Amino acid sequence: MRETTISTRDLTKIFGNFAAVDGVNLDIPEGELFGLLGPNGAGKTTLVRMLCTLLEPTRGTATIAGYDLRKEAAEVRRQIGVVSDGVSLYRDLTVEENLRLLGTLYDLPKNRMEQRIDELLGMFNFRDKAKRLVSTLSTGWAKRMMIVAALIHDPKILFLDEVTSGLDPQSAVALRRFTRDLCDSGVTVIWTTHYMQEPEMICDRVGIIFEGRLIQIGAPSELRQSVSEQTALEIETPNLPAEVVRKISSLEDVCKVTYDPPILRVTCTSEGAGKIEENVTRILIGSGARLRAINTKRPTLEEAFIFLTGGEEEIERFIEKGRGKG
Amino acid sequence: MNMPRLKVLRDVLAVITNESRLLRRSRSAILISLVVIPLFFTSSLGAGRGRAGEDYSTTAKLPIAFIDQDMTAASGNLYEVLAMSKDFNMLIQGYTEEEVIATLGKGGIFAAIIVPKGFQKNLLAGNTAYITVYYDDGSLGMLDVVTSNIQKNIVNFNPTSKVIQTFQPSGFARIQILQKGTKFSGFSVGLTVTMVMVIVFATFYEIAGSISRERESGTYARLLVTPISLGAVMVGKTLYDTGLNIIRSFIVLGLAIYVYGARLNTDLATVLISTLLIAILTMGFGFLVASLGVGVRAVVIIEFFLVLFLFAFSGFIIDKELMRGITQAISTILPWAYGIEVFKRTILIGQPLTSLTYQLQIIGLSITAFYAIAYLMLRSSRERLIR
Repeated sequence: MRETTISTRDLTKIFGNFAAVDGVNLDIPEGELFGLLGPNGAGKTTLVRMLCTLLEPTRGTATIAGYDLRKEAAEVRRQIGVVSDGVSLYRDLTVEENLRLLGTLYDLPKNRMEQRIDELLGMFNFRDKAKRLVSTLSTGWAKRMMIVAALIHDPKILFLDEVTSGLDPQSAVALRRFTRDLCDSGVTVIWTTHYMQEPEMICDRVGIIFEGRLIQIGAPSELRQSVSEQTALEIETPNLPAEVVRKISSLEDVCKVTYDPPILRVTCTSEGAGKIEENVTRILIGSGARLRAINTKRPTLEEAFIFLTGGEEEIERFIEKGRGKG
Repeated sequence: MNMPRLKVLRDVLAVITNESRLLRRSRSAILISLVVIPLFFTSSLGAGRGRAGEDYSTTAKLPIAFIDQDMTAASGNLYEVLAMSKDFNMLIQGYTEEEVIATLGKGGIFAAIIVPKGFQKNLLAGNTAYITVYYDDGSLGMLDVVTSNIQKNIVNFNPTSKVIQTFQPSGFARIQILQKGTKFSGFSVGLTVTMVMVIVFATFYEIAGSISRERESGTYARLLVTPISLGAVMVGKTLYDTGLNIIRSFIVLGLAIYVYGARLNTDLATVLISTLLIAILTMGFGFLVASLGVGVRAVVIIEFFLVLFLFAFSGFIIDKELMRGITQAISTILPWAYGIEVFKRTILIGQPLTSLTYQLQIIGLSITAFYAIAYLMLRSSRERLIR
């Protein structure tokens, strides 16, 4: 069984009379790629900032790699790497100079530091850019540089806060792949994002945070299962008689049927998802309907997110409240 | 035809709106530029000058020694004339000339009027009679105000009831004032002003500005997620800036000495220590301002305010002893005023640093207080210092 690297109990951050993070309980094992998913202002960044000692929790406790967040902040800092928009590098220093500065601050012995810099520059194809000022790097390379900098001291835990925003698709893919490899080598990664598809692609587990509360934690597939209504089928079938549509509607576990010629959409509960395709196609074939195409649609994490956060109306309300950044 | 003009007006309006919006977002900028600066300078001007028409003398409350070596009716009369005037309310008797010379510059007395032996005799013989005025070399402007106030009151030295008429009319004897002290050239004073201003201006921005810039760019947050201690950050920045200030001071001094031919009345080590005291004091204040989490814009405004303050209240233009009311109170609590006094007394007069223990203690305490408060505030304001 893997050891728990991050553990929080009732972790809360209150600004004035506004709870940016409200009573978060979380256990993340070593080597897990944990996605923290939520809209802007939901509390993701505040939670990460507390975990990386930038913000003092108002209430609650947390241990990071076995160290108490409040009492052993300096030790916590030695165990973590942080990549976040609010945590930058010195733009007027070169890539190498930035890495040396950080290596020194993390007390790396000179030989080890040079070796590590060389290793990271090679790993991230930075060798030809080592002497360049950070300010001259493109957005993609600058992001990559932030990750290199966060890894200089070989941290046990890496916080990647909205790390793919502003990246081109190739860099984003490369970054996701690298992060996955990093976790496989035992590093725990907390990946915060508001891009719903990202955690689905790479995360072992996802926590959905909304209005400061961690409302659900689970593997992406488990979260999708929590959606009680899902669009299971989209069938292209012209000239479908109304009684066939009614017959499909009366099937067990079917929630909703719409026919917008030539597309028939059948939505069913998660329990009925397994047998719906078979039942619907049997009715259609039995009625002599011509089937041009059948698509089985599984619910996405985005749909799960919308469902879990109380639907689109709730999200609209949240956006209108104009809460600050989270 | 009117369209381009309207466009320009709209653009101007947009710029004005934007600027007002930016100012509104910075509460410290509003407070300082619109409230503190106008109110402070207006009120201190009023307090400094007194009410319009009020008869105010800058030497009235200054302790000034009166040494009567002649011990005659004429010298006694001169004492009475001066003491009865509104200009010399604190004439102190009992000092000897040697004691006065030893005391001047230490803050006990600021000038001494010596009536030498033969004063009355010279007056009666129709010769020029002399009095000597010693003054504190380090108090800029002291000589002029003391001398002019003596001259003003000698007019009341009545020849009919007493002994002699002064100055005029011809045929009577005259009193001439001998001045003993160093009258600095405008250049020498200018050198100290320039040097202090260069140090304060550059140092404050280097510390407060650098932390504000780091805060805005996110590099301060980067430091905060590493194991570096706050003490190390402060000491590192202080030492770096100390190095810069050494170079800066030598550039100003080098120019003054080798290009303009200025002469220092002290050694380079003393200059350096005096310079660094002002620099470290300013750095402490810089850390204090930075701990408030203000932006670069606010730092620039505060810097401007600080320099104005120093010009007005630190004894550059008028010595703090010659100020009054709120201006003197501000000058007394402004630690830079003591730094500048050390600077003037060492560089211009050649007084040794060891003779300025009071000033050095105040500066030392202020540096300690600034750094300690800044340290505590920076520690407790981590949240303010991240974007």
